[in-house]
Amino acid sequence: MASPFLETVPDDVARKIEDANVADSDVIVRVEGDLSQSHTYGSEWLVVTSEQVLVIPEDGANGTQQAAISELRDVRVDDLVGGGVVEFERTVGSPVQIGFSQSLRPKFAEIAESVKAMTKGESLALPTEVDETRCPTCSRPLPEKNGVCAVCVKKWDTFQRILKYVLKYRGDAAITAAFTILATLLSLAPPKITQHIIDDVLTPKSGFEKLAWFVGALALVRVVMWIGDIGTRYFSRRLGFRAIADLREDLYEQFQVLPLRFYDRRRIGALISRMTNDSDRLEIFMAFDMPFILSNGLTFFGILGVLFWTNWELALLICIPIPPIIYAGSRIWARMMRFWNSWGAKWSRLYSQLNESINGIRVVKAFAQEDRESDRFDENNVAVRDVSVIGERNWFVFFTVTNFLMSCGVFLVWYFGGKQVLEEELTLGELMLFVSYLWMMYQPLRWFGDFYNFMMRAFAGAKRIFEVIDHDPEPFDNPNAVSIPSIEGRITFENAHFGYDPGKPVLKGAKFDVAPGEMIGLVGKSGAGKSTLINLICRFYDPDRGAVLVDGHDMRDVDLRDLRSQIGMVHQEPFLFDGTVAENIAYGKQNATMDEVIRASMAAEAHEFIVKKPDGYDMRVGERGNRLSGGEKQRLSIARAILHDPRILILDEATSSLDTPTERKIQRAIGRLVEGRTTFAIAHRLSTLRSASRLVVVDEGRVAEVGTHEELMDRQGIFYRLVKTQQETTAVMGVAQ
Amino acid sequence: METMVMEPEVEENVEAEEVREWKPSPIETIHPEFVDADAIRLFREPEWRLRLTIEGDRSYTRVKVVRAAPLSEPDRYICFLDVKDEAICMVKDLSDLRGEYHELVRQELEARYLTAYVSRVVSLRNEYGVSYWEVETDRGRREFLAKNVAENAQWLGERRLFILDVDGNRFEFTDLDKLDKQSLAYIDVVL
Repeated sequence: MASPFLETVPDDVARKIEDANVADSDVIVRVEGDLSQSHTYGSEWLVVTSEQVLVIPEDGANGTQQAAISELRDVRVDDLVGGGVVEFERTVGSPVQIGFSQSLRPKFAEIAESVKAMTKGESLALPTEVDETRCPTCSRPLPEKNGVCAVCVKKWDTFQRILKYVLKYRGDAAITAAFTILATLLSLAPPKITQHIIDDVLTPKSGFEKLAWFVGALALVRVVMWIGDIGTRYFSRRLGFRAIADLREDLYEQFQVLPLRFYDRRRIGALISRMTNDSDRLEIFMAFDMPFILSNGLTFFGILGVLFWTNWELALLICIPIPPIIYAGSRIWARMMRFWNSWGAKWSRLYSQLNESINGIRVVKAFAQEDRESDRFDENNVAVRDVSVIGERNWFVFFTVTNFLMSCGVFLVWYFGGKQVLEEELTLGELMLFVSYLWMMYQPLRWFGDFYNFMMRAFAGAKRIFEVIDHDPEPFDNPNAVSIPSIEGRITFENAHFGYDPGKPVLKGAKFDVAPGEMIGLVGKSGAGKSTLINLICRFYDPDRGAVLVDGHDMRDVDLRDLRSQIGMVHQEPFLFDGTVAENIAYGKQNATMDEVIRASMAAEAHEFIVKKPDGYDMRVGERGNRLSGGEKQRLSIARAILHDPRILILDEATSSLDTPTERKIQRAIGRLVEGRTTFAIAHRLSTLRSASRLVVVDEGRVAEVGTHEELMDRQGIFYRLVKTQQETTAVMGVAQ
Repeated sequence: METMVMEPEVEENVEAEEVREWKPSPIETIHPEFVDADAIRLFREPEWRLRLTIEGDRSYTRVKVVRAAPLSEPDRYICFLDVKDEAICMVKDLSDLRGEYHELVRQELEARYLTAYVSRVVSLRNEYGVSYWEVETDRGRREFLAKNVAENAQWLGERRLFILDVDGNRFEFTDLDKLDKQSLAYIDVVL
């Protein structure tokens, strides 16, 4: 596959590359920047070979900048507001620079990082894939990275996939269709019967009995129509809801198996909205719009057929107001949509202000800002009121205008049809038939203008859902994976490099080896890479370069389920699910008996506080465990880890921010938990790591020091300084250690 | 070593009155030393680096110039940061600096803040809450894409509008009334 960092150059630039004596085969990077040296929009090209770096302006401009890799001292990204500059700094002379707007930041960050590695003699390692920022089909920018292009949503493909979900319920679909057709055809009958009443009964004034028959038929049709209608609604909605529930289930299952990297790059809110808004939109489309389109389409063409068959001249006249009705309908709809948007925006502003001020009521009162909050509310409230009034006015205009256009058709029919009746070319009944059909036919036309929009919006939602479903999940089912049902617990970092964002490495070659059963304290300033080491041990991420081994196997080759099921975690802020205490303790071992749960909670020193609660182990902990104190949550999560019985244990700030007696209890509990397991502990309070067999000091993405507490103190290096600083701070704060 | 020089012991009494009068803003308290704008010297040395010297104090190389409030007060509260992005000092108004440095600072600010000022909207289409813009700006013609403009656009004044596109690029309409009719009609559709 072609590297995404070799873009196609225009002739002018290709010539300049040649002029600089650079052979095409030597080029490793050839990318376009979108800012000129004077920071206006314009193309400049960055070319990197194994020997040199070139920046070439486009459009015949002179001034190729050139520097040998060997004379580069540093490669930096200078962050500007709304973009940046890659600066290749030379030992002597001015730096070579290329600017980019915010849109191209990821690309240039990658390149800067790689060229920097080259200057240090490492080989160039660029990713083979980058995020799509432009639509591959129409090359328009995408609203989200790797997202869906709103312009070229493949309508037919998406429709077919939606249809698959619907067709799973063939029975419901068939019944819905049958009911719809029945109800629609029957709705054509009443005007026809009325025509017969006028022409065959009232006009010739023939017999009362005939009239009774017709009226009876009219009533019967109404009843059957009514039943048909109920049937349509019931089955179409059931069908829509069932299909969408399946889709939602697929989506949720996918959310569970997606790698964390997928979540890093997306806002959680946007993802939840795929679950809620996008699927809602699709639900409305399936349950309401699809049957609506079917029945209205049938009505429209059915009536048109009947009318042309009855009197084609008059039928043609009726068609005159159709285009203006559709046109006016869609115009006003577009405006209505805008008003709804603005109405929604104003409401959400009002809502969020309300939410904010009530949540922050203590702050409001403490700063005596009640009046200001009231004023802000009034302002937002008035905005909602005004926009609602305007919206209502638009509705009114919409109905008046379309109604008027519809009556124009009726005028035409009365005039020309009436004339035909007078000339006896048309019966009175037929005229009445026309008039009543007219209204029925024009009615759905008002909405036709917006059908397409509605459909497209639903399809765009569907496409966004399918995009998630199609994303590669974590490699749970790798057939070549080595199965390790019982991990010994040796963990080895082999020169592991890793960064969450391209161009911002967090680990820069971590190297260390941990024997089974060791307890390792991870120490370092915040941001040094401690949590990242943990993330790699859990294989939430794979290293960009180098490897992490478990029992001598590269993690990438180990069965993911085997690995994760043998890792346990205790976090600083343990996440508890809304359920009972017992359920939370048994989260990692679903078939645990009550005996086991109680034993685990005793080992975790949690039993004592649990039995003091009125509902004991059956107490509901509330959302995120909010009915428990910090120390209680902590002990529950230790109990959870004990019951889970992992081979590798991770303690992430497990004892921070607790009072001393509680902490002592938790220390004891952890002491029991750690026994016989490979343990990694992160703690800011260095004194809590005394029991660790060894400490690993992480500094700027590398392992700076390894050794026991005493060894490191003797060495008087980074760890020593950290301990000293902490002791000083504690002394200053007057807290007795 | 150089930092030792920074305590202006001798001058304390002379400046005391002025210091009391001047109320420190939160930005300035990061680096508590009060720096007289007249004492600031700026050089390009070498050509591609900005160097700042505080007369009678010390020098900083690779200085960055940033705005404390880039949207509401672009020409006031100008901060100087050192190579580690720590605040050196702040001047309350660009005009407090000596005249010869105005242009220098302005150039630095212009290079740092890549906001494009829109002079004309060439085309604008809206698809499902995503708007595709093509605009002419002081930096040239540019296409960009914004989500939910009606909600995300920031009004900086009655007729001054600021839009952040999906990638984080910045576009500003300094005065909507100065735009041509066609541009305004486009904007009206999305707002």
